[in-house]
Formats: sequence, C-alpha cells, structure tokens
Amino acid sequence: MVFLSLTQLVRSRGPDEFWRKRRIFKMAAHYRNRPRNVYSLAVRIVHRALAYATKGRKLKKLDMAALWTTRVEAGCQQYGVPLEAFKEGLARSDIMLNKKMLSDLAIWEPRSFEALVKISRERAAVEGLPDIKQRSAFNQVYGLSNLKLD
Amino acid sequence: MSFLVQSVRHVLRHTTQRTTLTGAMRALSLSPGMHQQNKPAPVVDVAAITKDQQKECQLICDRINQQVAKAEQGRLFAVVHLCGKQFKITPGDIILVEGYWPPTIGDEISLDKVLLAGARDFTIVGRPILEPGLVTVKATVIEKTLTHTKTHFKKKRRKQYMRINFQRSPNTMIRINSIEVTQTVDGTSKAKEDLSRRLF
Repeated sequence: MVFLSLTQLVRSRGPDEFWRKRRIFKMAAHYRNRPRNVYSLAVRIVHRALAYATKGRKLKKLDMAALWTTRVEAGCQQYGVPLEAFKEGLARSDIMLNKKMLSDLAIWEPRSFEALVKISRERAAVEGLPDIKQRSAFNQVYGLSNLKLD
Repeated sequence: MSFLVQSVRHVLRHTTQRTTLTGAMRALSLSPGMHQQNKPAPVVDVAAITKDQQKECQLICDRINQQVAKAEQGRLFAVVHLCGKQFKITPGDIILVEGYWPPTIGDEISLDKVLLAGARDFTIVGRPILEPGLVTVKATVIEKTLTHTKTHFKKKRRKQYMRINFQRSPNTMIRINSIEVTQTVDGTSKAKEDLSRRLF
C-alpha cells in the first residue's frame, strides 16, 4: 500500500467519541473559558448558537422589512405625507416599487423620491384619500393626462 | 297640512334675515334646501389646464430628449425587476440572484422589466414598467456558485428531539454592462410594438 501523504500514515485517533466531540469543539473554538474546553458545556452552547442562527435567518428578513418601512416613512414625512397615503397613492398610480427600492431611493436618489411623493400625493388628493391636508390643484405633477384623471 | 303652512310662513318671515346670517346658521335653519344655495363653485377650465399641462409635459420630454441626444445625461441608474426582486442598478454593478435561475455563465441578457430609470436631471417612472425599448439594460452572467453551507438546526430540550440539515442554494452573479435610453421620451405611451415577441 502506497501512502502518498503523511497524514494517511497516522493511526485513526480513537473511537467515535473523539470525532463526535471534535466536531463540537471545532465550533466552540472561539469561545472563552470553560465552554471552550469542557465538552458538556461546549455542546450546550453550540446547540444554542446553531438554533439561534437558524431562527436568525428568518428574523433578519423581518428586521430588514421593518427598517425599510421606517426609512420610507421618514422619507415621506419630510414632505408631510403619511406613509399609508403614500403607499396607497403609489399603488393607485400603478407604481409597483417595493419598500426596499423606495427606501434606497429615499436615501440615494432624493429627487427621484421627491417626484414619487408628489405623484403619489397628487393621486391621493385627486382620489380624495384621507390624511391629505393640502388639496393640491394640478400644480405639482406634469403629465396629468398620463395619470388618467378625468 | 297646517304644519306645512306654518313652516312656509316661518320661512317667509325670515327671508330678510337669512341673507345676513352665516353659512353655519343656514345649515341649521328649517328652510328647504332650494333656498340655501351656496356660492357657485369656482369654474375650473379643466381643458385649459390640461392643455397647459400637456405643453409643460412636452417641454420636459423635449429637454430630456435633447439631453440624451447630446449624451449629457451622465450615468443612468435603473430599478429592474428580476427573479421576483427589485434591484437598483447602475452600469458596472454586480448583482446577486439567489436561487435557481437558468442562464449560464457568459450569457448576455437584457433586463426588460425596468420600473424606473433616472439620471442627474430627470427620472422616468414606469407604471408599473417602462414601455418596452425605452431603456435598455444589458447584463452578463459572470458567475454561478453555491451559497455557503447553511446549517438548519432544531432542538427541543428534554424531548429527545434534534434535527440537523445542511443546505446550499445556487447563486448567480450578473454584471450590468450598460443602461441606455434608446428611444425618445414622449409623454404619450404608444403601443405600436410587435407584441408577439414579448413575454410580458
């Protein structure tokens, strides 16, 4: 039998227990104090960490959605439009940008976002949605024929 | 009948006073609605306004067209819809498409669902997507890989229940080559495209 590499020469390091524990210890290598070295403590904490990681992947998506909502809300509050009216106005104008895009636009493309707010506001005012205090009179959005207002 | 007569007399007696009363008091009075005409609504000439708006709109479109013709619009960005997600992209970007997606490495694709395109001085908003051919977004598939291994681990204490699974899903990276305004912008949407070749 030819051993091409030295590692193959080394005898197997003992029974299953060693490998089972080594799997856990590898994941506990960055812990401090006893959970790093004591198997009974390490295994508890590693299991807890793995379970958190599994749940966290879902929570991350929810957290991001909440963050985008906050950002879009802050963005349209600059122009005195409540979030609900903004979203409703956009939806009624067939503009299907999602929350992520709206928050990105609010941050990085403020003038595009302002245009969207104006379109939405105009639509909301024309359709008589609540929450729109100032009835705008055809003075903010051009291309009203495209909005099919009449 | 007697009640009606009374009320009519009541109304007649108060006709002179009513001219001086405020609108709120008129609302409270018993007289019939035909006596309570409000001021005529201000006449809005919608057609004239629309014409003005059309002119303004055409002016803006012309300015955009001029800018595009002189190639002064600078770097464009676009919001595209791809695989159920929306991406804000600009030329040179690399975007990551998660999950199974058929195109293979080296494929040149054009992203047709453009929801919004913008430059330094203008923004074109689609309802919900821009008309086909107005903005062309070209991209190349540069890499197809798998994600890192995600560990799906569940455990219930004291119930002898523990599950561990490992999963990797395909990822595709595409690079945005160019975003260009290829048609002239005019405020009216025209449906003269041959619809047979389009998927949506």
